[in-house]
Amino acid sequence: MSQDSQVSFEAIDNSESGDGGVEHGALLSRLCEAIFEEDKDQLASVKDKLLDAAGVDVLIDAVAVSANFYMMTRIADSTGTPLDAGTVEPSAEIRELVGVNSFTSRREAQT
Amino acid sequence: MAAYSTELPIRPDLDEAHAEVASRWSTTGTWWSGVERLAIVEEVRNARDAVEIAPWESPSEIEGLVSGDHVLPDAAVDAIWRITNHPGTLTAEWHASILGRGIHPEAYVEMVGVVAQANAVDRFADALDLDRVELPIPSTSEPDQTGDASLQVTSHWVPTAQIKGPNVLKALSAVPFENETLSILSSAQYVRLGDLLSDLVSKQNSLSRLQVEVIAARTSKLNECFY
Repeated sequence: MSQDSQVSFEAIDNSESGDGGVEHGALLSRLCEAIFEEDKDQLASVKDKLLDAAGVDVLIDAVAVSANFYMMTRIADSTGTPLDAGTVEPSAEIRELVGVNSFTSRREAQT
Repeated sequence: MAAYSTELPIRPDLDEAHAEVASRWSTTGTWWSGVERLAIVEEVRNARDAVEIAPWESPSEIEGLVSGDHVLPDAAVDAIWRITNHPGTLTAEWHASILGRGIHPEAYVEMVGVVAQANAVDRFADALDLDRVELPIPSTSEPDQTGDASLQVTSHWVPTAQIKGPNVLKALSAVPFENETLSILSSAQYVRLGDLLSDLVSKQNSLSRLQVEVIAARTSKLNECFY
Protein backbone atom coordinates (compact mmCIF):
# COMPACT_ATOMS: atom_id res chain seq x y z
CA MET A 1 0.00 0.00 0.00
CA SER A 2 2.76 2.41 0.84
CA GLN A 3 5.79 2.57 -1.36
CA ASP A 4 8.23 3.57 1.35
CA SER A 5 7.28 1.35 4.26
CA GLN A 6 7.58 -2.32 5.10
CA VAL A 7 4.55 -3.85 6.77
CA SER A 8 3.65 -7.30 8.01
CA PHE A 9 0.50 -8.97 9.28
CA GLU A 10 1.51 -9.17 12.95
CA ALA A 11 -1.00 -6.61 14.19
CA ILE A 12 -3.81 -8.40 12.37
CA ASP A 13 -2.99 -11.78 13.85
CA ASN A 14 -2.96 -10.54 17.45
CA SER A 15 -1.91 -7.53 19.51
CA GLU A 16 1.02 -9.32 21.16
CA SER A 17 3.08 -9.67 18.02
CA GLY A 18 4.02 -6.04 17.49
CA ASP A 19 3.08 -3.09 15.32
CA GLY A 20 3.76 -4.86 12.04
CA GLY A 21 5.30 -1.67 10.67
CA VAL A 22 2.07 0.29 11.20
CA GLU A 23 2.12 3.28 13.52
CA HIS A 24 0.44 2.26 16.82
CA GLY A 25 -0.42 -1.06 15.13
CA ALA A 26 -0.35 -3.16 18.30
CA LEU A 27 -2.32 -0.57 20.25
CA LEU A 28 -4.97 -0.36 17.53
CA SER A 29 -5.15 -4.14 17.47
CA ARG A 30 -5.57 -4.16 21.25
CA LEU A 31 -8.38 -1.62 20.92
CA CYS A 32 -10.17 -3.95 18.50
CA GLU A 33 -9.79 -6.82 20.97
CA ALA A 34 -11.16 -4.73 23.85
CA ILE A 35 -14.18 -3.63 21.80
CA PHE A 36 -14.82 -7.25 20.83
CA GLU A 37 -14.45 -8.58 24.38
CA GLU A 38 -16.69 -5.81 25.79
CA ASP A 39 -14.56 -5.77 28.93
CA LYS A 40 -15.06 -2.27 30.34
CA ASP A 41 -11.79 -2.19 32.32
CA GLN A 42 -9.73 -3.51 29.41
CA LEU A 43 -11.40 -1.06 27.04
CA ALA A 44 -10.89 1.92 29.37
CA SER A 45 -7.22 1.02 29.73
CA VAL A 46 -6.49 0.69 26.04
CA LYS A 47 -8.48 3.84 25.22
CA ASP A 48 -6.36 5.80 27.73
CA LYS A 49 -3.19 4.44 26.17
CA LEU A 50 -4.31 5.30 22.65
CA LEU A 51 -5.38 8.78 23.78
CA ASP A 52 -1.92 9.39 25.23
CA ALA A 53 -0.12 7.96 22.23
CA ALA A 54 -2.19 9.27 19.33
CA GLY A 55 -4.92 11.64 20.51
CA VAL A 56 -8.67 11.74 20.67
CA ASP A 57 -9.31 12.02 16.92
CA VAL A 58 -7.42 8.79 16.28
CA LEU A 59 -9.34 7.08 19.09
CA ILE A 60 -12.72 8.11 17.67
CA ASP A 61 -11.81 7.25 14.08
CA ALA A 62 -10.35 3.91 15.12
CA VAL A 63 -13.50 2.98 17.04
CA ALA A 64 -15.56 4.01 14.01
CA VAL A 65 -13.57 1.78 11.66
CA SER A 66 -13.76 -1.19 14.01
CA ALA A 67 -17.49 -0.68 14.52
CA ASN A 68 -17.99 -0.58 10.75
CA PHE A 69 -16.67 -4.12 10.52
CA TYR A 70 -19.36 -5.36 12.88
CA MET A 71 -21.60 -4.42 9.98
CA MET A 72 -19.49 -5.76 7.12
CA THR A 73 -18.79 -9.12 8.76
CA ARG A 74 -22.47 -9.66 9.51
CA ILE A 75 -23.47 -8.77 5.97
CA ALA A 76 -20.88 -11.13 4.49
CA ASP A 77 -21.59 -14.02 6.84
CA SER A 78 -25.38 -13.88 6.88
CA THR A 79 -25.72 -13.67 3.10
CA GLY A 80 -23.20 -16.37 2.17
CA THR A 81 -20.90 -13.91 0.46
CA PRO A 82 -18.06 -15.82 -1.24
CA LEU A 83 -14.55 -14.57 -1.84
CA ASP A 84 -14.23 -12.45 -4.96
CA ALA A 85 -12.81 -14.48 -7.81
CA GLY A 86 -9.96 -12.06 -8.43
CA THR A 87 -8.77 -12.14 -4.83
CA VAL A 88 -8.34 -15.88 -4.33
CA GLU A 89 -4.78 -16.19 -5.55
CA PRO A 90 -3.44 -12.84 -4.31
CA SER A 91 -4.87 -13.41 -0.82
CA ALA A 92 -3.85 -17.06 -0.39
CA GLU A 93 -0.63 -16.32 1.48
CA ILE A 94 -2.27 -13.64 3.62
CA ARG A 95 -5.14 -15.95 4.58
CA GLU A 96 -2.64 -18.58 5.64
CA LEU A 97 -0.56 -16.09 7.62
CA VAL A 98 -3.46 -14.60 9.56
CA GLY A 99 -5.07 -17.99 10.13
CA VAL A 100 -8.58 -17.64 8.73
CA ASN A 101 -8.77 -20.75 6.54
CA SER A 102 -10.41 -22.88 9.22
CA PHE A 103 -13.28 -20.49 9.85
CA THR A 104 -16.83 -21.80 9.44
CA SER A 105 -17.49 -18.72 7.33
CA ARG A 106 -15.02 -19.88 4.65
CA ARG A 107 -16.72 -19.73 1.27
CA GLU A 108 -14.64 -20.06 -1.84
CA ALA A 109 -15.06 -17.90 -4.89
CA GLN A 110 -17.39 -19.31 -7.50
CA THR A 111 -15.85 -19.93 -10.87
CA MET B 1 -30.00 16.61 13.73
CA ALA B 2 -27.19 15.34 15.95
CA ALA B 3 -27.03 11.70 16.96
CA TYR B 4 -24.86 12.24 20.04
CA SER B 5 -24.66 14.70 22.90
CA THR B 6 -21.06 14.53 24.06
CA GLU B 7 -17.92 16.55 24.65
CA LEU B 8 -15.97 14.15 22.45
CA PRO B 9 -15.03 15.78 19.13
CA ILE B 10 -16.97 13.40 16.93
CA ARG B 11 -16.65 14.44 13.29
CA PRO B 12 -19.86 16.17 12.13
CA ASP B 13 -20.14 13.93 9.07
CA LEU B 14 -19.95 10.84 11.28
CA ASP B 15 -22.52 12.19 13.74
CA GLU B 16 -24.84 13.16 10.89
CA ALA B 17 -24.44 9.76 9.23
CA HIS B 18 -25.59 7.99 12.39
CA ALA B 19 -28.57 10.32 12.73
CA GLU B 20 -29.49 9.73 9.10
CA VAL B 21 -29.19 5.97 9.47
CA ALA B 22 -31.48 6.01 12.52
CA SER B 23 -33.99 7.98 10.48
CA ARG B 24 -33.76 5.41 7.68
CA TRP B 25 -34.41 2.60 10.17
CA SER B 26 -37.74 4.22 11.04
CA THR B 27 -39.01 4.53 7.47
CA THR B 28 -41.17 1.97 5.76
CA GLY B 29 -39.01 -0.56 3.96
CA THR B 30 -39.76 -2.79 1.03
CA TRP B 31 -40.60 -5.77 3.21
CA TRP B 32 -40.84 -4.50 6.79
CA SER B 33 -42.82 -1.57 8.24
CA GLY B 34 -41.15 1.25 10.16
CA VAL B 35 -42.41 -0.30 13.39
CA GLU B 36 -40.93 -3.66 12.44
CA ARG B 37 -37.62 -2.15 11.33
CA LEU B 38 -37.23 -0.36 14.67
CA ALA B 39 -38.18 -3.61 16.40
CA ILE B 40 -35.28 -5.23 14.53
CA VAL B 41 -32.92 -2.60 15.95
CA GLU B 42 -34.38 -3.06 19.43
CA GLU B 43 -33.88 -6.80 19.10
CA VAL B 44 -30.22 -6.29 18.19
CA ARG B 45 -29.90 -4.29 21.38
CA ASN B 46 -31.68 -6.98 23.39
CA ALA B 47 -29.40 -9.64 21.94
CA ARG B 48 -26.28 -7.67 22.75
CA ASP B 49 -27.35 -6.80 26.27
CA ALA B 50 -28.61 -10.26 27.25
CA VAL B 51 -26.60 -12.98 28.91
CA GLU B 52 -25.05 -14.80 25.96
CA ILE B 53 -26.76 -17.94 24.77
CA ALA B 54 -25.15 -20.67 22.67
CA PRO B 55 -25.39 -20.33 18.86
CA TRP B 56 -27.66 -23.34 18.56
CA GLU B 57 -30.16 -22.02 21.10
CA SER B 58 -33.19 -20.06 19.85
CA PRO B 59 -34.12 -17.09 22.04
CA SER B 60 -37.76 -17.47 21.02
CA GLU B 61 -37.78 -20.87 22.73
CA ILE B 62 -36.24 -19.67 25.99
CA GLU B 63 -38.89 -18.60 28.47
CA GLY B 64 -38.82 -14.95 29.39
CA LEU B 65 -36.23 -13.89 26.84
CA VAL B 66 -38.53 -12.61 24.09
CA SER B 67 -41.92 -10.98 24.52
CA GLY B 68 -44.82 -13.23 23.54
CA ASP B 69 -46.55 -10.44 21.63
CA HIS B 70 -43.47 -9.38 19.63
CA VAL B 71 -44.21 -7.59 16.34
CA LEU B 72 -41.58 -9.74 14.61
CA PRO B 73 -42.00 -13.43 13.80
CA ASP B 74 -40.00 -15.84 15.96
CA ALA B 75 -37.81 -16.80 13.01
CA ALA B 76 -36.75 -13.17 12.58
CA VAL B 77 -36.00 -12.76 16.28
CA ASP B 78 -33.92 -15.94 16.29
CA ALA B 79 -32.05 -14.80 13.18
CA ILE B 80 -31.35 -11.35 14.63
CA TRP B 81 -29.83 -12.82 17.78
CA ARG B 82 -27.73 -15.34 15.86
CA ILE B 83 -26.43 -12.78 13.35
CA THR B 84 -25.68 -10.32 16.13
CA ASN B 85 -23.93 -12.63 18.57
CA HIS B 86 -22.57 -15.52 16.49
CA PRO B 87 -22.00 -14.35 12.90
CA GLY B 88 -19.06 -16.68 12.38
CA THR B 89 -21.25 -19.75 12.92
CA LEU B 90 -23.75 -19.13 10.12
CA THR B 91 -24.17 -21.78 7.44
CA ALA B 92 -26.22 -22.26 4.29
CA GLU B 93 -28.33 -24.81 6.19
CA TRP B 94 -29.05 -22.30 8.94
CA HIS B 95 -30.08 -19.69 6.35
CA ALA B 96 -32.38 -22.21 4.67
CA SER B 97 -33.95 -23.05 8.03
CA ILE B 98 -34.82 -19.39 8.64
CA LEU B 99 -36.45 -19.10 5.21
CA GLY B 100 -38.21 -22.40 5.86
CA ARG B 101 -39.89 -20.80 8.87
CA GLY B 102 -41.60 -18.26 6.62
CA ILE B 103 -39.19 -15.38 6.08
CA HIS B 104 -39.24 -14.23 2.43
CA PRO B 105 -35.73 -14.29 0.88
CA GLU B 106 -35.78 -10.56 0.13
CA ALA B 107 -37.27 -9.72 3.54
CA TYR B 108 -34.33 -11.63 5.01
CA VAL B 109 -31.92 -9.39 3.05
CA GLU B 110 -33.60 -6.23 4.33
CA MET B 111 -33.49 -7.57 7.88
CA VAL B 112 -29.79 -8.41 7.56
CA GLY B 113 -29.11 -4.85 6.42
CA VAL B 114 -30.81 -3.31 9.45
CA VAL B 115 -29.24 -5.82 11.86
CA ALA B 116 -25.75 -5.19 10.49
CA GLN B 117 -26.16 -1.40 10.58
CA ALA B 118 -27.45 -1.46 14.15
CA ASN B 119 -24.47 -3.55 15.21
CA ALA B 120 -22.09 -0.96 13.73
CA VAL B 121 -23.82 2.12 15.13
CA ASP B 122 -24.29 0.70 18.62
CA ARG B 123 -20.75 -0.72 18.84
CA PHE B 124 -19.45 2.77 18.13
CA ALA B 125 -21.57 4.32 20.88
CA ASP B 126 -20.86 1.59 23.41
CA ALA B 127 -17.10 1.66 22.89
CA LEU B 128 -17.00 5.42 23.46
CA ASP B 129 -19.42 5.32 26.43
CA LEU B 130 -22.03 7.32 24.53
CA ASP B 131 -25.78 6.92 24.80
CA ARG B 132 -26.98 4.76 21.92
CA VAL B 133 -28.70 6.65 19.11
CA GLU B 134 -32.28 7.47 20.03
CA LEU B 135 -34.79 5.74 17.77
CA PRO B 136 -37.19 8.04 15.92
CA ILE B 137 -40.94 7.67 15.64
CA PRO B 138 -41.63 5.10 12.92
CA SER B 139 -43.47 5.90 9.73
CA THR B 140 -46.92 4.39 9.57
CA SER B 141 -47.28 3.32 5.95
CA GLU B 142 -47.21 -0.35 5.07
CA PRO B 143 -44.47 -1.97 2.96
CA ASP B 144 -45.59 -3.04 -0.50
CA GLN B 145 -43.67 -6.35 -0.27
CA THR B 146 -43.33 -6.60 -4.01
CA GLY B 147 -40.51 -8.83 -5.12
CA ASP B 148 -38.12 -8.05 -7.96
CA ALA B 149 -38.39 -10.76 -10.61
CA SER B 150 -34.94 -9.94 -11.98
CA LEU B 151 -33.17 -11.04 -8.78
CA GLN B 152 -31.47 -14.41 -8.79
CA VAL B 153 -29.61 -16.65 -6.36
CA THR B 154 -26.24 -17.09 -8.03
CA SER B 155 -23.09 -16.46 -5.99
CA HIS B 156 -24.61 -15.82 -2.55
CA TRP B 157 -27.20 -17.64 -0.41
CA VAL B 158 -29.50 -14.67 -0.95
CA PRO B 159 -30.92 -13.33 -4.22
CA THR B 160 -28.84 -10.55 -5.71
CA ALA B 161 -29.08 -8.07 -8.57
CA GLN B 162 -26.69 -8.26 -11.47
CA ILE B 163 -24.43 -5.42 -10.39
CA LYS B 164 -20.66 -5.03 -10.60
CA GLY B 165 -18.32 -4.67 -7.65
CA PRO B 166 -17.03 -6.73 -4.72
CA ASN B 167 -19.28 -9.58 -3.62
CA VAL B 168 -19.90 -7.99 -0.21
CA LEU B 169 -21.37 -4.92 -1.90
CA LYS B 170 -23.58 -7.21 -3.96
CA ALA B 171 -24.92 -8.97 -0.85
CA LEU B 172 -27.72 -6.49 -0.10
CA SER B 173 -28.39 -5.57 -3.73
CA ALA B 174 -31.86 -7.17 -3.59
CA VAL B 175 -32.88 -4.22 -1.42
CA PRO B 176 -31.16 -1.10 -2.84
CA PHE B 177 -32.26 1.07 0.10
CA GLU B 178 -30.12 -1.05 2.44
CA ASN B 179 -27.14 -0.86 0.11
CA GLU B 180 -27.48 2.94 0.20
CA THR B 181 -27.46 2.87 4.00
CA LEU B 182 -24.39 0.63 3.93
CA SER B 183 -22.70 3.23 1.75
CA ILE B 184 -23.63 6.07 4.12
CA LEU B 185 -22.16 4.25 7.11
CA SER B 186 -19.05 2.91 5.39
CA SER B 187 -18.22 6.31 3.93
CA ALA B 188 -18.36 7.89 7.39
CA GLN B 189 -16.77 5.07 9.38
CA TYR B 190 -14.33 3.44 6.98
CA VAL B 191 -13.51 4.63 3.47
CA ARG B 192 -15.68 6.28 0.86
CA LEU B 193 -16.72 3.38 -1.34
CA GLY B 194 -15.45 5.16 -4.45
CA ASP B 195 -11.98 5.25 -2.87
CA LEU B 196 -12.01 1.64 -1.71
CA LEU B 197 -9.64 0.33 -4.34
CA SER B 198 -8.77 3.47 -6.28
CA ASP B 199 -6.99 5.32 -3.45
CA LEU B 200 -4.90 3.15 -1.15
CA VAL B 201 -2.59 5.82 0.24
CA SER B 202 -4.59 8.89 1.31
CA LYS B 203 -5.29 9.43 4.99
CA GLN B 204 -8.83 8.65 6.09
CA ASN B 205 -9.53 11.47 8.53
CA SER B 206 -6.94 11.06 11.33
CA LEU B 207 -5.84 7.54 10.33
CA SER B 208 -3.44 6.34 7.65
CA ARG B 209 -4.92 3.84 5.22
CA LEU B 210 -2.60 1.22 6.70
CA GLN B 211 -4.00 1.86 10.18
CA VAL B 212 -7.53 1.66 8.79
CA GLU B 213 -6.84 -1.70 7.17
CA VAL B 214 -5.18 -3.13 10.30
CA ILE B 215 -8.28 -2.24 12.33
CA ALA B 216 -10.60 -3.62 9.63
CA ALA B 217 -8.70 -6.88 9.31
CA ARG B 218 -8.22 -7.39 13.06
CA THR B 219 -11.92 -6.78 13.72
CA SER B 220 -12.93 -9.12 10.89
CA LYS B 221 -10.68 -11.85 12.26
CA LEU B 222 -12.06 -11.44 15.78
CA ASN B 223 -15.53 -11.91 14.29
CA GLU B 224 -14.25 -15.04 12.50
CA CYS B 225 -15.14 -13.63 9.11
CA PHE B 226 -13.35 -15.38 6.24
CA TYR B 227 -14.40 -12.86 3.62
